[in-house]
Amino acid sequence: MNKNFQRSLAVISAVALAFGAVSASSAQAAVKTYSIAYQGPLSGGEASTGIDEINAVKYAVKLFNAANKGFNIKVVAVDDQGDPAVASVVAPGTGANKKIIGLVGPAYSGATIASLPYYKAGGLPLISPSATRVSLTKSDSPDFGYPVFHRVVATDDKQGPALAKYATKGVSAAKVFVFDDQSAYAVPLRGYVEAAMPKVSGASLVGGGDSVPNTTTDFSPTIAKIKTSGANVVIYTGYYSQAAIFVKQLRDSGSTAVFAGGDGVFNQQFAVLAGAAAEGSRLTGVAGLADVGAKEEAAFKKSMGISSGVYAVESFNAANIFLSGIKAGKTTRAAMLKWVTNYKGVGLGGAVLSFLPNGDIATGGFSGFTITNGLLKNTGPVK
Amino acid sequence: MFAVLIDQFWSLTIAGVALGFIYVLISLGYTMVYGVLRMINFANSEIFMWGTFGTIITNRDIFHYTQISEPATGLKLGIVLISSLLMSMFVAGLTAVLVEFVAYRRLRAKGTNRLATLISAIGVSICLQEIMRLLTDSRPVGSPRVLEKIILTEVWGANIRLDTVITIIAAAIIYFLLERFIKLSRMGKAIRAVSQNEDAAKLMGVNLNRVITTTFLVGGLATGAASFFYVTVFEYSKYNIGFTMGMAAFTAAVLGGIGNIRGAFFGGLTLGLLEVYASAVLGTQWKAVTVFIVLVLVLLFKPNGLFGEAVQQTRA
Repeated sequence: MNKNFQRSLAVISAVALAFGAVSASSAQAAVKTYSIAYQGPLSGGEASTGIDEINAVKYAVKLFNAANKGFNIKVVAVDDQGDPAVASVVAPGTGANKKIIGLVGPAYSGATIASLPYYKAGGLPLISPSATRVSLTKSDSPDFGYPVFHRVVATDDKQGPALAKYATKGVSAAKVFVFDDQSAYAVPLRGYVEAAMPKVSGASLVGGGDSVPNTTTDFSPTIAKIKTSGANVVIYTGYYSQAAIFVKQLRDSGSTAVFAGGDGVFNQQFAVLAGAAAEGSRLTGVAGLADVGAKEEAAFKKSMGISSGVYAVESFNAANIFLSGIKAGKTTRAAMLKWVTNYKGVGLGGAVLSFLPNGDIATGGFSGFTITNGLLKNTGPVK
Repeated sequence: MFAVLIDQFWSLTIAGVALGFIYVLISLGYTMVYGVLRMINFANSEIFMWGTFGTIITNRDIFHYTQISEPATGLKLGIVLISSLLMSMFVAGLTAVLVEFVAYRRLRAKGTNRLATLISAIGVSICLQEIMRLLTDSRPVGSPRVLEKIILTEVWGANIRLDTVITIIAAAIIYFLLERFIKLSRMGKAIRAVSQNEDAAKLMGVNLNRVITTTFLVGGLATGAASFFYVTVFEYSKYNIGFTMGMAAFTAAVLGGIGNIRGAFFGGLTLGLLEVYASAVLGTQWKAVTVFIVLVLVLLFKPNGLFGEAVQQTRA
């Protein structure tokens, strides 16, 4: 190949590249691209919850992009494994990435606490579909997420009484044993459950409870306590992967006590891991897409290729608050934060979406679910 | 405070002994290697974790049991259980030998200092854990129920369950066989000879590399057996279970006197019972605190562990 030919080839290539770039950018000019993020456990023992949530966010974005041709919204996936230690590693980068103008999540309370300093510093508006710890919206707490933190799920001070009522429903002279997994979510929730128990007629706390590290696999001492206490209702306020190991051992010990858990156990994977031992377990959680309507669920399945999961409605609603903000031209973090704070709208399932000054949702509650034939069956709101 | 202990004493004791036997077998992995090389094989916790997947894969993928299958009975139960045990022992034994070959042998041949092998051990441990984390997508993996957990009888108010009985008896047999192997076999004698005086053993014609590989293999096989019992009892594994179990077994080995096989036995059982009793009396949140206070107290009065003296004597 002679030198002249090489030179002309280089010039032609450069011109072609430049032309390509120009034509691409002119095509893109018509489409406005923005990013929102989702943060939650996308791998690890709790991944099932995060995957259910991000799918609902992606679904909302897919519908928005299809309906608004001038927009191309991207979803950035931030995997914190539901673990505060991992969250504190991934949050600084997310907080500093100015392309992200809103974040659905974090999914878990402990991970939220670990992430908050970076998001407050970056002014990144957050709407969590599932972080229920009360201190996140309590002004006198160091975990107070104001002004960036918002949530579309009710808090554990509402969940505690709901769980106390639902776990003991129909059990005469309920003797209740409550234990936690020492996590930032489980310990306060246990407190709310225990505080609510005396108000439930006929129910009493027994055995003094327990606090078991979340790496425990041998629950025999806890089961011994349950047996000695004569408990006929056992409530675990931790997460589903440990709950599955525990409930198997509880049933193997011959105990027929009612097993109940909060929204940390509220996951289809609980029934998958625990098998027959999970049958009849009572869990508090939030109504799913299928509860909103068969039509909505069918549309989701058609679009995403799989069924919707836990917190699908909350994640969908949270994403839609950001998407409506983008449509209204709120494309900076500051503008978006103002939009979210003052937001007032109706979400999927008719939920009124607006926030109190502390970031809590103005309305909302928990439903009771029972594992029936291996599936989560909604028995309606706990009143 | 003691109501639970008094009321459930025998249930707790049986659970503690079963857990203790699992610790005994894992701590053999630590103690054997320490006895010969004066080195802590930190990768043993991950060898245990890999072993658990041997049982899960055998149950789930070879014999096609699922979460909804009926548990096995009769001859089939025996075949499945023995296959799972052998598979876990094979996986853990092979991993242990590979770890020795890849991470320690060359360092030893080059005569590097102990810190280099320590870091190498930690490195291998992290690698093994991370590989399993990636393979399982960080998720807990449930094992299908192969063995029906039948309550055989009730003794002093405690349920005696089939899986607990199998764990205690089989683990005791495996321990006994290992101890005999070390005491009576030609290779066992060579292992003890290297443990006492490496140079003298070499001069007597002992093949050092073969002895060390065998030590890792035997330790791995014991740890693999522990993996099988763990999955049979708890029907679960996860990439990070090695740390908690390994830490406990290492504590048991130190408590009993590391380097000493009898020490691993009594250390493991003591720890299993101590954990269960402490959790029942003080609450599970006090389990680790109690265990380590007891460990420190034992080491204060017997710095070589409960059976440490025996090691010193055999080494002298």
